Amino acid sequence: MDREHIRNFAIIAHIDHGKSTLSDRLLELTGSLTAREMQAQVLDAMDLERERGITIKAHAVRMAYQAENGETYQLNLIDTPGHVDFSYEVSRSLASCEGALLIVDATQGVEAQTLANAHIAINNGLDIIPIINKIDLPSADVERSKEMIEQTIGLDATDALPISAKTGLGVEAVLEAVVHRLPPPTGNAEAPLQALIFDSWFDAYRGVVVLTRVINGRLKRGEKIRLMSNGKSFEVESIGVQTPKPVVVQELSAGEVGFFVATIKNVVDAKIGDTITHDANPCATALPGFEDIKPMVFAGLYTVDAHEHTLLREALEKLRLNDSSFFFEPESSAALGFGFRCGFLGLLHMEIIQERLEREFNLNLITTAPGVRYRITLTDGSVVEVDNPSRWPNPTNIEKIEEPVITATILTNEEYVGGILKLVEDKRGRQKNFEYVGSTRVMLTYELPLNEIVLDFYDRLKSISRGYASLDYHLSGTWDSPMVKLDILVSGEPVDALSIIVHQEFAYDRGRALVSKMRELIPRQMFEVAIQAAIGAKVIARETVAALRKNVLAKCYGGDISRKRKLLEKQKEGKKRMKRIGRVDIPQEAFLAVLRIGEES
Amino acid sequence: MPDRTLMRPKQLGLPALAQGLGVYVSVPFCRAKCSYCNFASGVFGSERMAAYVAKLTAEIREAPKRVAAWGGQLPRRLDSLYFGGGTPSLLSASQLEAILEALAKVFSFDAAAEITLECAPGQLKDELLQAMPGLGFNRVSLGVQSFVDHEAAAVGRLHTRAITLKEIERLRRAGIDDINVDLIAGLPHQTRESWNVSLVEAIATGVPHLSVYMLDVDEDSRLGREMLAGGTRYGVGMVPNEQAIADMYSEACEQFAAAGGAQYEISNFARLGHESRHNLKYWKRQPYFGFGLDAHSFLPRVDGEAIRVGTTDDLAAYLEHKVRGDERETITPVSAAQALEEAWFLGLRLTEGVSLAAIEREFGETAIQAFQPILKEAQQQGLIEYDEHRARLTPHGRLFANDVFERFLGVVREEELVAIAWGPAHAHVLYRGPTFVGP
Repeated sequence: MDREHIRNFAIIAHIDHGKSTLSDRLLELTGSLTAREMQAQVLDAMDLERERGITIKAHAVRMAYQAENGETYQLNLIDTPGHVDFSYEVSRSLASCEGALLIVDATQGVEAQTLANAHIAINNGLDIIPIINKIDLPSADVERSKEMIEQTIGLDATDALPISAKTGLGVEAVLEAVVHRLPPPTGNAEAPLQALIFDSWFDAYRGVVVLTRVINGRLKRGEKIRLMSNGKSFEVESIGVQTPKPVVVQELSAGEVGFFVATIKNVVDAKIGDTITHDANPCATALPGFEDIKPMVFAGLYTVDAHEHTLLREALEKLRLNDSSFFFEPESSAALGFGFRCGFLGLLHMEIIQERLEREFNLNLITTAPGVRYRITLTDGSVVEVDNPSRWPNPTNIEKIEEPVITATILTNEEYVGGILKLVEDKRGRQKNFEYVGSTRVMLTYELPLNEIVLDFYDRLKSISRGYASLDYHLSGTWDSPMVKLDILVSGEPVDALSIIVHQEFAYDRGRALVSKMRELIPRQMFEVAIQAAIGAKVIARETVAALRKNVLAKCYGGDISRKRKLLEKQKEGKKRMKRIGRVDIPQEAFLAVLRIGEES
Repeated sequence: MPDRTLMRPKQLGLPALAQGLGVYVSVPFCRAKCSYCNFASGVFGSERMAAYVAKLTAEIREAPKRVAAWGGQLPRRLDSLYFGGGTPSLLSASQLEAILEALAKVFSFDAAAEITLECAPGQLKDELLQAMPGLGFNRVSLGVQSFVDHEAAAVGRLHTRAITLKEIERLRRAGIDDINVDLIAGLPHQTRESWNVSLVEAIATGVPHLSVYMLDVDEDSRLGREMLAGGTRYGVGMVPNEQAIADMYSEACEQFAAAGGAQYEISNFARLGHESRHNLKYWKRQPYFGFGLDAHSFLPRVDGEAIRVGTTDDLAAYLEHKVRGDERETITPVSAAQALEEAWFLGLRLTEGVSLAAIEREFGETAIQAFQPILKEAQQQGLIEYDEHRARLTPHGRLFANDVFERFLGVVREEELVAIAWGPAHAHVLYRGPTFVGP
């Protein structure tokens, strides 16, 4: 198809603002799917999603649309994820489009995610069509939504399209707007091949499947291609597009979007953002914007039952097949035995992996407190990166510590601003901007250490705002901060799995909160157990679990031995679920307490 | 895995039938319910006593058939009988007589059988007291709990110190000298000093048997519910702390020993020859049969193993159910591995401890070896003392008996007992056949 009749576009929306509903409507209106297939499609997508797990980030669906002017257009809808953890993937998906539909829920207004993704779209030079959805709802306020789009995003919303994706009202106009308001792709089909990878995944039958947007040149079956980031070459085995059913095509030329399968065996070789070119006739430069994305959040994963260690490794290997953004390496803890240090893109990513390990692989896990990676300059001038408290250098050798900092955008209603300000200040935030957008909406921009976000920030933000606050953030630099390693000692022995890295100013409060929580959670033993929080050799907080004085069943229960046995079995079972450190039995919850301790401090 | 030539337990095979049987009769009626009582369905008003006695006697008559249906064996020689409760002394002499008659039709009473009636001080009518020796009662257990009046009153006991002393006097005049006094350490308002008063009084009575229970506030009791609810009734806030209770217990052990009442079990003290035969059966794994509500039996099975049976604790279910109905019974076979565990955790309750030779005889010569590491560790922790003949809890170990006992569970698995005792060549012998599930 000639480029003038191609439109590549994405949909940007906050969760629940109606992205999938609108996508479904578009598919229906373009006849891509019958109503009956619709159902099947939805189910397939869910299956796929389950197989592919969290890396399911983008779909590219080709639709044929006959516009009112009688001409037929090829519309490529590129569906992107919205979560902050995956903002890099979002940016690459958007980079494969010329335009975007920005959906705003007429009853909610602009949320942080909408804003963040709109900015990525604008930065990628996309044309944006604002769409006000859910206008069928009684509380819909189209004018106010337009006003918010103009004030928060800075887009002209005069021509925003009011629609109801649910009822189909106004959806035709969306298709017309895509044709007439979004530009066709540019690019030269005769130039050397230059194609962008915007997603890839591992398919057990076909190997690695790559979603791509051809910027210049043509991609054909049987050709030898080269990935520019690593110089590796592969042969293209098949090319296709999703309509949404996969359909084989002979080639993808400049401006088109589709997928191909090559002889790529490892998903790590097909990195998102990489440029594909011909091995024989390569293009001069790679496409801009490629980044080797690195995990930002780190935690140790251990099985409660030491015998499941091998199962955990197998499970992690399987997950990694499909998710190159997640990393793991063996680690061992004196307290928890053998486990893995894992790196994640963010908290959601971590939760998803954890949940999949527990649900799909039936593993019972202990996760150590999530942390970030610090860049530490030592007194001898060398620099180390540390994401594991157990590798924290001796404080006397530390010259400087840099911690990752994010810029967070929070959108909320003014009534919650007070609470949120206190929260971000508590979390060492520095205000960058405070702005009213509309009469009662406030947009806060803060710099915050990532370290403070990973523990419980989301949950607290949600509870303070009763759910009426949205958050988006991106990594924006580092701060030099006096971080210290806080150790927890049980009966004089440091429990490595309980160590955390905290800001010096918080160390005392965290330490105190942690030992008092531990005191509640560690059951009394036959001897007194001291729980201490220490920085280096200096103990900053101490609690004592008093010794148990008796544990005996005196009553006879008229010869009811079964009852006595049950009681003993229950007691034994309880102890089995605990980790014995030294001679102290520590329940699993104690390890989880570290995760929640921020709430109390 | 060390080579363990463990054997199936054999003491409960045919020789068990030759052993005397202990019979327990549960009488779940009281005039008032104590605040610490956790009898599951409550202790019931006495108006239903007649129906209960009728049910009980029917149940006794049916005992041989029921036991046969369980695959069990019923020793017929009865050498101890215990009426517990509740307050069995609320039964009339004729009701007790009816029960005894029913028992006599099924069992042959040893001439020297120990026959105990639990009584609440002040609730033993003259008519019954006079009839007791004639009915064969030779022992009474008094639920005194405290000699300090306000403590007893606070938990809902209806007697005073004076009533208790008078009751002991009456029993002796009626010819019943074998008297037990129950005390509870840890009652609301109790202090070390007041506990000492109870100990001194109890010793001064000169009764030959004393029991001391440490209060475990059960959440099914009024006291426990009040505690959970954070209330103030029943002296909830005045329950001594765990340390104090442990100290009270240790104090009792010392004082009773000094007064000549040897401790023969965690909670029981007696002058030589006055140990409760019935109580010992529980710890020595000798057969017993429980009749009535929430009653428990331990019986040999025809195949040489054993079963434990418990009856319902729901009075209505007990009364309405046909005697033959099995739904109100929970029958638990005791596997060889469990029998071995019980030999340890029940035997260790006794001051004489566990005879290693006896365990060896019953379970095989290396049965002891499997438990060596446990014994050793507990010894190092000062919880157990043992030599080549016996293992027993230390006084400190008694306070942590549950911690010790728990270690004996799950050490030897049933399969190990089967495979090693009989060898793989004989494994088929133990195959119990397929389980059929009816339509």
